[in-house]
Amino acid sequence: MKAVLGAIFLVGLATQTSRPTNYKGLEITVLGIERAQNVPLLDCPPGSNSQRGNARGGEEFAVVNIAFKVTPAFKETIVKKPTLTDASGKTYNTSVAIIDPGSQPEYKCSFPFRVPAGTKVGSVQIETATIDLASLDKK
Amino acid sequence: MDIDRRAFIASLGGTAAVSLMDSEAKADALEHWMEDQLDQQGATAQGTAEKFPTVAELEAQIETRNYRRGAGNVFVNTRGNVRKLEPMPKNPTLKDFFRLRFAPANHVLQSATRAMKTGMSEEIILACLLHDCAQALMKADHGWWGAQLFEPYIPEKSTFGIRYHQALRFYADSDAGYEYPDLYYRIFGQDYVPPPHIEATYKMLRNHKWYMEPRLVTVNDLYAFDPNAKVSIDPFEDIIGRHFKQPKEGLGNDNSPSAHMWRTLANPDAPL
Repeated sequence: MKAVLGAIFLVGLATQTSRPTNYKGLEITVLGIERAQNVPLLDCPPGSNSQRGNARGGEEFAVVNIAFKVTPAFKETIVKKPTLTDASGKTYNTSVAIIDPGSQPEYKCSFPFRVPAGTKVGSVQIETATIDLASLDKK
Repeated sequence: MDIDRRAFIASLGGTAAVSLMDSEAKADALEHWMEDQLDQQGATAQGTAEKFPTVAELEAQIETRNYRRGAGNVFVNTRGNVRKLEPMPKNPTLKDFFRLRFAPANHVLQSATRAMKTGMSEEIILACLLHDCAQALMKADHGWWGAQLFEPYIPEKSTFGIRYHQALRFYADSDAGYEYPDLYYRIFGQDYVPPPHIEATYKMLRNHKWYMEPRLVTVNDLYAFDPNAKVSIDPFEDIIGRHFKQPKEGLGNDNSPSAHMWRTLANPDAPL
């Protein structure tokens, strides 16, 4: 019984993140989505920039947390900022840039997208890679 | 406040970079570093919502100081007396001013580094490198002062970026990747409303073909407050060489429209 419950729990945990997507040798996994009014402004991989950004009235940040793993197939290149598409197909940009993506073997980044409050997210795109977010969004 | 000596030296680019700085520059660097640390602690401690001052609360602080916040860094030491500045060379270059008057210049170097690493144009990289340098001379309206200071020597687009980043920083633009920062709640007040000339400038810029020049300066500005970033002017030497018209007589000696501003930076202790 314990084993069955454990297995169910593990399956439950597994559904909290996206399946890894490999893009240009970067293994990309969406860890989850959070909502916030005030977010740290840290590029990716994150340094220790001290600034934070603020949403305005009627808006919020949909923060997409992503894990990156650099595989041997990765070759040094510029990777553009991710974009977010909501459930209705509208796209949003983030201020966070991906800089030197091969500089660390593994890292986690948070990409804030300023959206109207209550927006249902659809997917995140990193250049030509698209990762579905609908199942991860707790909204 | 405890000072992490190693982190502080690292933030200036290491011991080699520190050894090139005079005492005044080191003192200024320490002051900026401590301010950054305080900002960071405030942000970390805030969890959900930091209490920001109002415009009225900031105004009430004016008569508690013996200096005005808009005065340039070379004129003010907010924590004591100013120190004697190392004289400028006979024919000073931009790099000399970076070393002797703008140092540590960590923020502008970080900003330009980000512009370079994200593949922006050389005009933008140069604008990022120079965008806050005029704060050594004057903080109030520093975008306009900076543009005036550099205009005779740099491309028109770089001047445009420096001048108007000052207005655009008050207006978030997610499409371009700029968010309104806590820093402005802290230093201008949470209820601050930009004055009419800034609002009018913003409206003008929204329809201008070069809107992205100052906008990209603000985008990089926001991500250039990392106390641990290691930066140097060396990666920008080629861009400066290509785009900065260094006068052979030296900055301040060339009779340009802004020569007097360079002379003031060179000798801010002149009584008249």
